[in-house]
Amino acid sequence: MSRLELKNITKKFDNKIILDNINLVVEEGEMVSLLGPSGCGKTTTLKIITGLIYPDNGDVLLNNKSVLAVPVEKRETVIVFQDYLLFPHMTVEENIGFGLKMAKVDKKVRDKKVKEMINLVRLNGHEKKYPRELSGGQKQRVALARAIAVEPKVLLLDEPFSNLDGRLRENMREFVCELQKQLKITTILVTHDREEALMTSDKVAVMLEGKIRQFGSPEEIYKKPATKDVADFFGEKNYIKGTIENNIFKSRIGNFKTTFNKFSKGKAMIRPEEIEIFSKDVDTGLLGKIKKKKFAGDRMYYNILINDVEIKCITKFNKNYNVGDMVSVKIDFNDAVFFKEE
Amino acid sequence: MKRNLKPYVLLLPVMLVILGIFVSGLVMALIQSLGYFPVVGLKDITLKYYKEVLTDKSFLSSLSFSLYISFTSSIIAIIVGILLAYSILRSNKKERMEQIVYKLPIIVPHAVAALLMYNVLSQSGILPRILYNMGIISSQSEFPSLIFDNRGIGIILAYVWKEIPFIAMVVYTILSNINDKLSEVALNLGANKRQVFFHILLPLIMPSVFSAFIIIFAFSFGAFEVPYLLGPTAPKALPVKAYIEYNNPDLTHRPYSMVINMSLTFISIILVWLYHKSFKLISKYDG
Repeated sequence: MSRLELKNITKKFDNKIILDNINLVVEEGEMVSLLGPSGCGKTTTLKIITGLIYPDNGDVLLNNKSVLAVPVEKRETVIVFQDYLLFPHMTVEENIGFGLKMAKVDKKVRDKKVKEMINLVRLNGHEKKYPRELSGGQKQRVALARAIAVEPKVLLLDEPFSNLDGRLRENMREFVCELQKQLKITTILVTHDREEALMTSDKVAVMLEGKIRQFGSPEEIYKKPATKDVADFFGEKNYIKGTIENNIFKSRIGNFKTTFNKFSKGKAMIRPEEIEIFSKDVDTGLLGKIKKKKFAGDRMYYNILINDVEIKCITKFNKNYNVGDMVSVKIDFNDAVFFKEE
Repeated sequence: MKRNLKPYVLLLPVMLVILGIFVSGLVMALIQSLGYFPVVGLKDITLKYYKEVLTDKSFLSSLSFSLYISFTSSIIAIIVGILLAYSILRSNKKERMEQIVYKLPIIVPHAVAALLMYNVLSQSGILPRILYNMGIISSQSEFPSLIFDNRGIGIILAYVWKEIPFIAMVVYTILSNINDKLSEVALNLGANKRQVFFHILLPLIMPSVFSAFIIIFAFSFGAFEVPYLLGPTAPKALPVKAYIEYNNPDLTHRPYSMVINMSLTFISIILVWLYHKSFKLISKYDG
């Protein structure tokens, strides 16, 4: 177990800034997600941690000691890549034992460790198979076992579930989480999947355009996004312009009570799933007209016009209204996040 | 059915010429090697010529000389070719290196390569003269005899010079197609660069290297001009021996020449089979 710290990491490729002053601390045994869209610098960050890429500025510290001068093969920070990258000419057990073999670990010790790993990732019976004979999930588990076998100080997971589909993805996600908790390995998970980051991590670092925009617990990140960019990354939102006076938010759609009172002019961010709609007979004090409707299986997506302001709303599938229907709308502005107008 | 036959029908004119020459030549050689050559009065089918040739000491020494030359030159070319390809891959001046290394020796014909070796390495050649003028050797005859020697050094060097670029070209293409990330993964798991080469890159290129080895081995085993121009009087390389036997003015001698040709053909067929097998090895790592 190790504590990892990134200090002011900056990296440019062809004069384009890829990482802009990255600071991040991952405590011992913690699982942190680097969450961001493709091309935001997540994988580059991992490669800098492992030593496959050198930063232009900044430092990487393991247990408070700089490891920038430590070559990749001695850094003990192992990546599990998105596309598994198993060695095609080696069997499952040879792949898993590769790192130990390179470290010249005694064959008996190595075999024992490989067996342990195979049990751990539940691949018994597949020891002699080649990667081409394995399914995606099995390949993923081999890659994971191969990384864990060398007992890394930090385990780095680069979009490990993105090549898996549906159920398998959920199973593997759960499996990795259990394994991480069981082995207490300091882990960084790189992902662009919001749900994955929120469900699996102790902390989430939201990375956008080479910068860490917010770092905190999954709840904090979701409920209290620091910026509009971070909020938007977690899906479509409603932004309602207005002013706040004496704990009253005044806007074009009406006046609402709120506990927020830090500035007077700004935007209130309301998540579509936090807006409730009822038939017009129910009195919520707010009436709207259904403008658009989309069916998405277990959910319904509605666009509602309230005083010419379009509001997005997500309800359960059984709340079925038609385009043109008048509905009562309930918005709790105590759940809103306010952004000061710039 | 018609669709299935279409490619064969389209290929028929070319195949008739290729197979016609190849198969008729092979059948003629086989018939003559069995002693049937009615033009000169040989009409009995017999294995006598096979028995005589295959137990003849000079044939056996020619066969082992040919195998030795081909094997040695191919192995050296493979080792140096792989190292060269790897160093080109890791070099920053890829384009320049490729152009210099690959294009020159590959386009030079084997007969010219043999003459180059002769001009450089024979005792009257450029290298002994340089060494003599530098005072390293006291006379040109002091320079070791590398041409026409019974260790076949001149022949081996000519083949090595021609084959290294070919191997380097094949290996470079394969190396550059191997996912770079596999090396990164290996490094990341604690392997040093040497281990990455021997445990990851080399095993992955090995099937293709084996194919390339078979190609150059088969070529140097069956080729005539280099051992004819640079080889010793004895032992003679097998193709040279076959040529000399073929040119014997006594036509009743022809079956001996054909037995040697059939032996070369037989070994070539084994090499083709091995080549085919190596393709299965290459596809083993796919998917």
